[in-house]
Amino acid sequence: MALGDLEREVMTQLWDAGEPLTVRQVHERLSRQRDLAYTTVMTVLDRLAKKGVVQQQKADRAYKYAPTQSREEMTASVMLDALTASDDQDAALAYFVGQLPPEALAAAIEAVQKKR
Amino acid sequence: MTALLLGALGLTLSLVVPGILANAHWPDRAPAAAVALWQSITLTGVLAAIGVVLVAPYELTRAAGSGKPVASAALIGALAVAALIILRLLISLYGVTRRSRARRARHRLLVDLLDRAEQHRELGPDHLRVLDGALPLAYCVPGREPRVVLSHGVLQVLDRAQIDAVLAHEQTHLRHRHEVVMESFTAFYRAVPGPLRSRKPLEAVHLLLEMIADDAARRRAGAGPLRAALERLTDAIPLAEDVKPDPAGEARRRRLERLAASHTRSVALSTVAAAGAVGLLVLPTVILVLPWLDRALDAWPL
Ligand SMILES: [Zn+2]
Repeated sequence: MALGDLEREVMTQLWDAGEPLTVRQVHERLSRQRDLAYTTVMTVLDRLAKKGVVQQQKADRAYKYAPTQSREEMTASVMLDALTASDDQDAALAYFVGQLPPEALAAAIEAVQKKR
Repeated sequence: MTALLLGALGLTLSLVVPGILANAHWPDRAPAAAVALWQSITLTGVLAAIGVVLVAPYELTRAAGSGKPVASAALIGALAVAALIILRLLISLYGVTRRSRARRARHRLLVDLLDRAEQHRELGPDHLRVLDGALPLAYCVPGREPRVVLSHGVLQVLDRAQIDAVLAHEQTHLRHRHEVVMESFTAFYRAVPGPLRSRKPLEAVHLLLEMIADDAARRRAGAGPLRAALERLTDAIPLAEDVKPDPAGEARRRRLERLAASHTRSVALSTVAAAGAVGLLVLPTVILVLPWLDRALDAWPL
């Protein structure tokens, strides 16, 4: 299984849990579907922490991991980034439709998420 | 005399021509050639500026009848200024490329984590990512590991043929490395001193690249589905009409217009524009710079 897929599944477990999890807990949840080494899960969590999308917290002598943003927050910030040209229009992404001013987009994302 | 002509050419290309070309409508019918023309205009403008810097001191010192030491000093100064111009352009390009790459890498990391893989197995491309969210949004993240990103809203408001049209459009951006074109124009824009810079080339080229991607998508998926996709992705963004006049409204209208049946690409226009692009780059060199070099090399004190 590709590392990228594994990272995504670990993130999904953390998001779905709604509370910080230990490596063991993440390992247990993922092991329900497949055989997975404990150390692999540890490595993946470590990588995610280095990338800044997961936070390591010490609680009751065990390390727990939690996403730095909820799935909704991260989705909104990704979309905002996609639709917001930086000041100098750095040409980083290509868009299908033109850009909206950021404040309009933020309002749009908020409106859509309230509706759900 | 050569310096004056080169200066006039450079100023015309950077101050007059962009306004005319940006307002013209024929590029809609020959977008790829028009992009080449924009590139040629920009590059020739830079070359003309460098030409002025190199030629003017020579012509001035000669007209003033200065001696060898003054002429040599003028030459060294001219070379230094020319090097500075080139350096400024290169530094700008480096900065834009580096920032874009960092932004894309971060963006790619996040869409990979957020991907709802189970929602798009049958849609095809490996590098497709689907995000949660009802706001219909489609774009691509270019680079060595490209991604095409759709929001869940796109899957809800578009049918399969329309989604294929959107995917074909994005794939064209990725395959033709459109981001490299945009990066070079951005770098040029940022390198030009404040009062002289203009967003017109940047915006015009951006729209032309969209048209090129539209043309490819139209061939693959048909004009109808692409048109519908464009309209729906536009219409479905809530609150859009509350916004101060949408800067992309005009662009969208032009893209939709050219997807109408009556609109066709023009081979003749493409040929003329492409020839113009080549001519612009080659002719000033042949007519102005070569004769000057010939004379200068004869007379130069070094
Ligand atoms: Zn596009």
